[in-house]
Amino acid sequence: MNHKNALTPWLFIGPAVLLLIAFSLLPILVSLLISFTDMNLIGLRNWDMVSFVGIENFIALFQDPLFRRSIFNTLVYVSIGVPLVIVCSLAVALLLNYMTNKLFTFFRVLFYVPSITNIVAIAVVWGFLYNMDVGLFNYVLNTLGLGSVPWLEHPFIAKISLIILAVWKGIGINMLIYLAALQSIPKSFYEAADMDGANKFQKLRYITIPSLSYATFFVTVTTLIGWLQFFEEPFVMTGGGPLDGTMSMALFIYESGFQYNDFGYAAAGSLVLFIFIIVATLVQFTFNKSKEN
Amino acid sequence: MKFKKSLAMFAGVSVLAAAGCGNDGDANGGNGDEQGGDGEAVTLDVWAMGEEGNALESFVEDFESEHDNIEVNVQAIPWDNAHENLLTAVASGNGPDVLQLGTTWVAEFAGAGAFLDLSEYEDEYDVISNDDFFEGALDTTVYNDGVYGVPWYVDTRVLFYRADILEEHGFSEPPQNWDEMLEVSRELADRGDGMYGYDIDQNDQLVPPIFAWQNGWEFNEEEAEENFADPAFREAMAYYHTFFDEELVQVTEGVPIEQGFEEGSKPMFSSGPWMVNILRDSAPDIDGDWDVAMLPGSERNASAIGGSHLSVFAETEHVEESLEFISYMSQPETQVEWFKETNTLPARQSAWDDEELQEDEKLAVFGDQLEEASAPPVLDQWENIAQDLLSSLERINRGGADLDEELDEFQQQAARRLN
Repeated sequence: MNHKNALTPWLFIGPAVLLLIAFSLLPILVSLLISFTDMNLIGLRNWDMVSFVGIENFIALFQDPLFRRSIFNTLVYVSIGVPLVIVCSLAVALLLNYMTNKLFTFFRVLFYVPSITNIVAIAVVWGFLYNMDVGLFNYVLNTLGLGSVPWLEHPFIAKISLIILAVWKGIGINMLIYLAALQSIPKSFYEAADMDGANKFQKLRYITIPSLSYATFFVTVTTLIGWLQFFEEPFVMTGGGPLDGTMSMALFIYESGFQYNDFGYAAAGSLVLFIFIIVATLVQFTFNKSKEN
Repeated sequence: MKFKKSLAMFAGVSVLAAAGCGNDGDANGGNGDEQGGDGEAVTLDVWAMGEEGNALESFVEDFESEHDNIEVNVQAIPWDNAHENLLTAVASGNGPDVLQLGTTWVAEFAGAGAFLDLSEYEDEYDVISNDDFFEGALDTTVYNDGVYGVPWYVDTRVLFYRADILEEHGFSEPPQNWDEMLEVSRELADRGDGMYGYDIDQNDQLVPPIFAWQNGWEFNEEEAEENFADPAFREAMAYYHTFFDEELVQVTEGVPIEQGFEEGSKPMFSSGPWMVNILRDSAPDIDGDWDVAMLPGSERNASAIGGSHLSVFAETEHVEESLEFISYMSQPETQVEWFKETNTLPARQSAWDDEELQEDEKLAVFGDQLEEASAPPVLDQWENIAQDLLSSLERINRGGADLDEELDEFQQQAARRLN
């Protein structure tokens, strides 16, 4: 009976582990291998044509101005976008948590809708909003007597425009996580604080935010990983332009792999991105641990 | 106990499901029926892209009634997914029998051995390398001395212009050459703020080569990157830059061209045959106020030829039937029918003798332009080079980079790509 029990946990995790191995671990290992080869479309069909090139791909990558540019752009996206998503979704969650009547439920849906809207539809609408000549944003600015902003036409401003779009799109899901966490904070904490005469700000500062620390950690980790892989927005809105100002690492990898069929090069790029993500995540885990201690 | 048993079964089923997923790919879009052979019915899998894919389904019924033993199974693939689907087909060796292939994709896929070299069937099927096809279209079927497709339909870019606006400014004829083009553009751009003379799509890979061809440039494979040192090429790029430098065209995104054309803020642009119907549908108010003409040139009125070929997938088991189908699609009569169905231009010159094609004046311009249309070189690296050139030109037009320095750099980059 005993050894049968020992088998039970394996059976429980078995399916998940198998799926993970087949669809995550193996592909990662394969792409690791490919990144040291000159695999291209011809090689894909005829494996004799593939040869190991050592770290040549990686050397070429770091000499490629476009790749360096894409790293810089990705870091800009992450360092502005991630804090913004966290602050905005926390703020929205706090505000929506004040009451539970119909209006608030409606707004909850409203904030969540962008997360589940098709990116192509978003791209069409926001493309018009951002249009320099006929877009709504510039129209409003012009009627207020302000000049036009080159939303998608200037390499740096285009980055900011994409960040605004991505934040708008990213708030929904994180807001939901925060709302769930907010509702799990025991009421007794607030009752105790009331008895001690704490004001609203003190309750927020000393009860709510500390109680949300795990949710914040989760949101930070997932958002950071998501933003390091920033892809859809530049892919559908700008194609990496103008002047490569919105080219992200993920878009660079996609283009090398699927537009130019340079699979070895693309795999090397994705390995670099993978390392970025692992390092960023590890840093956060260590940071979180030291905070807990 | 019972619980554990069912749990074990559940785990087993999941494993099977996972394994099943792996096999699924093989079953999908396979090579059709395995038997084939003479007399027996054969299912021919055909991949067609975009609008053509949707129209082809019903169009092939005539072919099927002529050939009792062949059943055509058309799969319509959206253009956005086409490249990835082809990649998957090449990688797995599981593809259709016949497929539609954009003229610019020949080099990369033929280089990978994805298609059958049709030159060995030339004697049996006269559509292969038939010189009734437009020369520019045939050029893009050839890669490394092999023939990897039969032209299906073609397209080319011509000049769309607002005859009424040009008339107002004293131009009774559309510009015929580069000097006239600049003159008209300057005059029209002078009309005020937000007014432009011409429109250039900065993301269109074919635009820079078109300018170069117009200046007498030709890409010579043996000369590799030296092609881009040719004064004819450099001059053409300088001419291209003039439009941006003098703000004769809009650098930023702006309104969609249909709208700009209708409003008159962009009274000239170059585009393909599809634009004729788009303009008729979306801007009926200016019907009759606009016309098409051959692109102005300096040495010759060159344009680019595009379109699609039909190719046979290398792994097919139905070579004969595939070629039979392609022959049918490439007959002048079929091409005329296909034109009436989809408005795509016939690749065979003799199809243009049809009355309906003859009578349409706008169409005749496309016919004339096709005779002066060149094709981009069939090279693996061309896609990269064309994109590099667009990036360089963007740096010149938007980033204020020096024309000569930037083009020198582009030439060095091309050297690395080609060697």
